[in-house]
Amino acid sequence: MVTFILGLPYESNVQSTPDLWVLIAAVGLPFVAAAATPLVARALGNRTAYYAAAVAAVCFGLVVTLAGTHGGAAVTWVGPLSISLGFYVDGLATLVGALASGVGVLVFCYSAGYMRGEPGQPKYYATMLAFMGSMLGVVYAGDLVVLFCFWELTSIASFLLVGHYSDRRESRYAARKAMLVTVGGGLFMLVGFVLLASTVGTYSLTAMLAEPAATRAAVEGAGLLLPILSLVGIGAAAKSAQVPFHVWLPDAMAAPTPVSAFLHSATMVKAGVFLLGRVRPILVGGDWTTAFVALGLLTMLVAAVLAVCASELKELLAYSTVSHLGLIVAGFGFSGALGSETAVFHILNHAAFKAALFLVAGIVAHEAGTRAFDDLSGLRHDLPITAGVTVVAALGMGGVPPFNGFYSKELLFEASYEFAHHAGGLAWLAPVVAVVGSVFTLAYSLRFLSIFFGERPETLGSVHRAPWPMTGPPVVLAAIAGVIGLGGITAALGAPLAPVESFVGWVVASTLGPDAAGHAASFHYYLPTYVSPAVVMSALAIVGGVACFLRWRRVRWATRGLLDALPVLRADGWYDRLVYGANHASTRVQRALWTGHLRTYAAWTFVGAVALAGFGYVATGVAVPNATPSLGATLTIILAVAAVAAIAAVRAPSHVAGVMALSVVGFAVTVFFVLASAPDVALTQVVVETVTFVVFLVILDKLPSYYGRIERSRAARDVVISVLVGALVTITTLVATDATPDAIASYFVENTVEQAGGHNIVNVILVDFRGLDTLGEISVVAMAAVTVLTLIVMRERGETP
Amino acid sequence: MTTVILRTITRLVLPLGFVVSFAFFLQGHNLPGGGFIAGVLTASVVALAYLAYGLDVVEDDVFGREVEAAVEHVQHGVVRDYQTLYASGLAVAVAGGLAAIVYGYLTDTTIPFMTQTFRYATVPLFGHIELASAIVFDLGVYAVVVGALLTIISVVGAE
Repeated sequence: MVTFILGLPYESNVQSTPDLWVLIAAVGLPFVAAAATPLVARALGNRTAYYAAAVAAVCFGLVVTLAGTHGGAAVTWVGPLSISLGFYVDGLATLVGALASGVGVLVFCYSAGYMRGEPGQPKYYATMLAFMGSMLGVVYAGDLVVLFCFWELTSIASFLLVGHYSDRRESRYAARKAMLVTVGGGLFMLVGFVLLASTVGTYSLTAMLAEPAATRAAVEGAGLLLPILSLVGIGAAAKSAQVPFHVWLPDAMAAPTPVSAFLHSATMVKAGVFLLGRVRPILVGGDWTTAFVALGLLTMLVAAVLAVCASELKELLAYSTVSHLGLIVAGFGFSGALGSETAVFHILNHAAFKAALFLVAGIVAHEAGTRAFDDLSGLRHDLPITAGVTVVAALGMGGVPPFNGFYSKELLFEASYEFAHHAGGLAWLAPVVAVVGSVFTLAYSLRFLSIFFGERPETLGSVHRAPWPMTGPPVVLAAIAGVIGLGGITAALGAPLAPVESFVGWVVASTLGPDAAGHAASFHYYLPTYVSPAVVMSALAIVGGVACFLRWRRVRWATRGLLDALPVLRADGWYDRLVYGANHASTRVQRALWTGHLRTYAAWTFVGAVALAGFGYVATGVAVPNATPSLGATLTIILAVAAVAAIAAVRAPSHVAGVMALSVVGFAVTVFFVLASAPDVALTQVVVETVTFVVFLVILDKLPSYYGRIERSRAARDVVISVLVGALVTITTLVATDATPDAIASYFVENTVEQAGGHNIVNVILVDFRGLDTLGEISVVAMAAVTVLTLIVMRERGETP
Repeated sequence: MTTVILRTITRLVLPLGFVVSFAFFLQGHNLPGGGFIAGVLTASVVALAYLAYGLDVVEDDVFGREVEAAVEHVQHGVVRDYQTLYASGLAVAVAGGLAAIVYGYLTDTTIPFMTQTFRYATVPLFGHIELASAIVFDLGVYAVVVGALLTIISVVGAE
């Protein structure tokens, strides 16, 4: 399948630009298919898997037609913000897109066996298809906003799929964890994107990648290289489960195994490294190398140690995935073509062997009924085909020649050695860490393989062979891995696997920085026939790995001891502390805010309004104008009446008296409006005042006639708040009426009759000039009615609102 | 609250209030008034009736329907009608706004949402008057205000 895509003549038509409609079809089709899934599932039942596989196959076909094209295609989305529904095709996009759809086909076929008879199949297939569409969207995004949207959609799909068994507590916990970590990282990434777009002046990735050097210069000129690099890096690290964000991936194994194979090994976790490859041409440089080589190698080592400590198949594979993602991140971290070759080739290799191993783990769990290492061994007689697949895939994972993982690991050794040779000093840690990490990698790979060998324990019940839909896909994946591995042997004999080499070379070219882009990648890989530093490192890793495996118990005991001594390596606590801490804090805040007393809410609302508006005035340095009030005798009397009534309202002994006094204030204000020649406002004030009064009278019956005693402290607090609100309103009025020239008001005065044909300016403003505001206001009025109704009806029914 | 004085006054005020609110509504474009004020006035007049004659007055005497239990009252009775009133008010307001777009589409011009216009016409008895399209929107405002306020008043009152 991969060889099929590899055989395309993409080099010859590399100039042609992609067709927008093909892109929209490739990204949109899975979503449409997902929406139709519930109906299809009703008709097809357990065979829905093949419908989903067919959709994935069509998408794969579309990806293949796009292979070889290069460039962007876009339709305008949000014009004023220069955001477009933009797509971009290059080698990297084609590689990851082919994985998302190609592995999709296999995983859907596998699901036909694995999910047979399980409940919730429509949900499962719909979400998987939607995920595939989101992933293709991420891959082909040619605009930062589009990339972000699809990026978060993959997180949501992952949430739903990890939580597929929603009646299990640990599934729900894992789903939340996966989502909070990846979405949280995505928010950092969004900030990074916004910074990037605001310095460059466009959200278009296509435009940025067309001029990577100029983009980098703009970013550096603004002094934002490091912030953007770290923010985007955090997003990528959270998605690709790098230390210390790796904690979500092992928990995510609560998902059905096909989901783990698809999302958590081959595709979604690749989105993070994809992003690094995507922005690499723009951001690669000294800081980039330091950050991502350190992050990647640290992750590779820590996760490899954790994988050794794993007690069951999927946990081992989860940590192993983290470790290999670290390898890819480190690869992208090295500047120059060698690093890119490492990362790109390993994305391909890892997808092949790791997806196969996950499917193997699913078969074993399905047929043997357990995933614990202690219960499993000697399965080669029961599951011969699966055992064969595992030999190829696990040895590829361990980096044993001539299996496929060996070559990309060899490239990593080479890149790290050159890096250290070049930089010197602390950089020598890089090759050392890479070798030590590889030792553990080989050790746990052999441990995984060992469940098929040795003696079959008595406790293991009868193990059936898996049905063909389940054995087929891993066989295909292992065959791909095997062919890539054989290519290294034939290359050493002088007959390289040309399609693979030129395809990887094409992908590598799309991730190179402007400095390295000159010597376009002609990628070659082969079984080494002479001694080089990298070969020595490989030999060390293999000898060390085998030695560790032979002393497995002791190694495991030692690593577990190490973890107990250094619990920081597990890094599991920070998530729980963060989430439960936030929970706890919000409960406490809620206890202070949500007392059930109207007065508390009113107090907080007023304080909030005063604080926000006051902050606004202080921040913008508003000067309070010097008002010289020139009130006539009449107005003075009216205002005095209002003031007296206000005092009376505060001091009123009963509700009725209070309401009466409040009404007096209202009507005094009305008279004020009349005298200030604002008849319309006065009229409104009259009717509103009336209706308020009547409503008060309607509900007064239900309230106790007299107020209770009020505490002194609360009274003092209320006085302070009232004075603050009064002061703020006064300032606002002064500032607002002081504004000159009064452009808006005079505009309305001049145009009301002419344009709207009305003489009542207030009404014309309400229904014509600012009609949309009024529409919003009446919607709010209607919403208020709905809210009251809902609250009351819920209480009548005995539900707590 | 339901004293004879209040009842008598309410009987007098009720028709006056409706007429005044109708006048406010019609003259709003040129003189003090408009859909919002008219709506609040109508609602307060009905609320006054509630106060004087009890909450079942509209249901009982105006529509001549049997009054049922409280929940029924909220879900099926006159409150249901009030809800219809504000919902259709919103619909009228939006539809009036959309009409501008439709008109623009039909006449091949681009007219934004909620664009209003007006004409002068001579009508017997009233003379030369202005006909503003904005009155459709104002009618929506009126309906929403009356419906929402009466919903709130009668539901809260029923509590």
